[in-house]
Amino acid sequence: MANKVLVADDEIHIIHVVAIKLRNNGYEVIAANNGAEAFDLACRENPDIVVTDYQMPVMTGIELITKMRADERTKDVPVILLTARSFAVSQEQQGSLGVASCLSKPFSPKELLKTIQDILYQRQLAVKC
Amino acid sequence: MRGQRSIVWIATAVAMISLPAAALAQVQGAGLATGSYSWLAPLCLAACCVGAMGVIFLGIGYSRFAGVITSIAARLRSELPSAMACVCSPRALRALTDAVDARLADGDTMVQRLREELRDLQVRSQLSEREKRHTEAILYSLRDAVLVVDGSDRLLMANEPAARIFGFDAVHARREPLAEVIGRTHPDFVELLRQSRCNRTEATKRELIFTLEDRPHTFEVIISCVQEDGRASGVVAVLHDITKEKEVSQMKNDFVSHVSHELKTPLASITAYSEMLADGEADDEKTRQEFYAVIQSQAQRLNRLIEDILNVSRIESGLIKVRKEQASLTILIEEQMQMIRSYAEEKNIAVTSGHLIVYDQVYVDKDMISQVVINLLSNAVKYTPAGGHVTVGTEVDETARLARVTVTDTGAGIPADEIGRLFEKFYRVSANNKLAKGTGLGLNLVKQIVEKVHGGRVFVTSQVGVGSTFGFELPLATADQVATV
Repeated sequence: MANKVLVADDEIHIIHVVAIKLRNNGYEVIAANNGAEAFDLACRENPDIVVTDYQMPVMTGIELITKMRADERTKDVPVILLTARSFAVSQEQQGSLGVASCLSKPFSPKELLKTIQDILYQRQLAVKC
Repeated sequence: MRGQRSIVWIATAVAMISLPAAALAQVQGAGLATGSYSWLAPLCLAACCVGAMGVIFLGIGYSRFAGVITSIAARLRSELPSAMACVCSPRALRALTDAVDARLADGDTMVQRLREELRDLQVRSQLSEREKRHTEAILYSLRDAVLVVDGSDRLLMANEPAARIFGFDAVHARREPLAEVIGRTHPDFVELLRQSRCNRTEATKRELIFTLEDRPHTFEVIISCVQEDGRASGVVAVLHDITKEKEVSQMKNDFVSHVSHELKTPLASITAYSEMLADGEADDEKTRQEFYAVIQSQAQRLNRLIEDILNVSRIESGLIKVRKEQASLTILIEEQMQMIRSYAEEKNIAVTSGHLIVYDQVYVDKDMISQVVINLLSNAVKYTPAGGHVTVGTEVDETARLARVTVTDTGAGIPADEIGRLFEKFYRVSANNKLAKGTGLGLNLVKQIVEKVHGGRVFVTSQVGVGSTFGFELPLATADQVATV
């Protein structure tokens, strides 16, 4: 069964290009335009991993992660943060929020794909152990 | 001496009384001697003896006194005539007169000098008073708050801004202990001044926050200890309000942050789509064309953003080239409405216009006014939720000779306390920050183009939860401007 990736970004072109890249590599993609929509989808669709933008209307990426960590249904879902603000999230903040990886915009879709693959592989290993 | 004289007088008086009594006793003989008064005769005799002694002493005293008087009289008789002759000679008199004149002249000179000194002191006093008033006037005219305390921490001087910050009456608080004047409301500041005086600090710089007109203001406070003869005779505190500088600095930081984000967002799309094309991820022609279109549109977006930043900078520095010509507002607005419609439709927002036809012409830089209209339209669409409306209106005021354009939306609206700052560079309404991204440059550019380049006016009215109307007025083209076309 294909891994499900939730992509949250208010830039429709970013969602589009990430979705094409991931679908071309066998992933199922669901998308949201802001943090609030993304949280609803995360609770409903139970994704394997979430890729979220840092700055979004209604609810930011950080607020989304904080809310996910507080909810039993989503607290263990790994999250990749995409940000155009290189210094917006410190290493400490990433650690405390449980951010699996942080990529700076502009980003390479190949690099994003590899990051997703690595994280999901590590989780599978952890489950087996 | 005085006691001796008294004794002598008393003895004389006793003798004077006793002598007749003794004589009387001798005359009467046995009658008295055999009677009950037989003791009176010896007593009278004894008194006579005492009296006689007194008379003798008195005589000696008076003879000595007479001698002294006699010697004085003899001396006067011998010396006075020569002394008088000496004093009364014409030569001596002249010398005396000259000496007196010289003394009087000296006195006059001294009086004159004292008068001059007095006048000098009066002038100095007036100068000093004037300098004091001048210094006070300088202090009172400063926009910075100045507060001076003496060596006992009493308030010597404070100007009006200081009184406003600390909330006291600058005149009545003079000479009062500072702790009594502001100690209740600002105990930390009072303690800071006291410590500066005790430590004889030459100049300390601190950033302190005080509430002014119900708003926190940041002050750069410089505290200097006044030293006289090696001891601290007081403290001067100067408070410079740096709230505005702080806000500008914060806005610049926010701007850099916003701009980098705004620049990186289209750049992220361009990079990602280019990589996808290069990696052959777009496997059919339709997808490739779609990718090319995205790259092109994002490159244009990037260019517009850079142009916005440069235009604000150029207008501010007066370096922008302005090409004014006669133009129809109606056509300019219609063109921009066409451009915004696809974006509005994506968000399910209707963009409509009222009676747009403006027959009168304006004399403007078409590109700039087009940018004004598109900025207002894109803002309206950006901050209006799905299903909302954006309406463009125009009207002409023939009396005032101007054309007015309004863009009304059914968006989030703007809190009243933020309306005044909307057109400031880099300013973004905090409450609406989450609704859309932006650099805080769009409205500033609108204001610069309308007011600075075209001599018009921008305006805004808004109600939170109902919507906003942004607009601008431009002067109609004059007959001369129309004739030059």
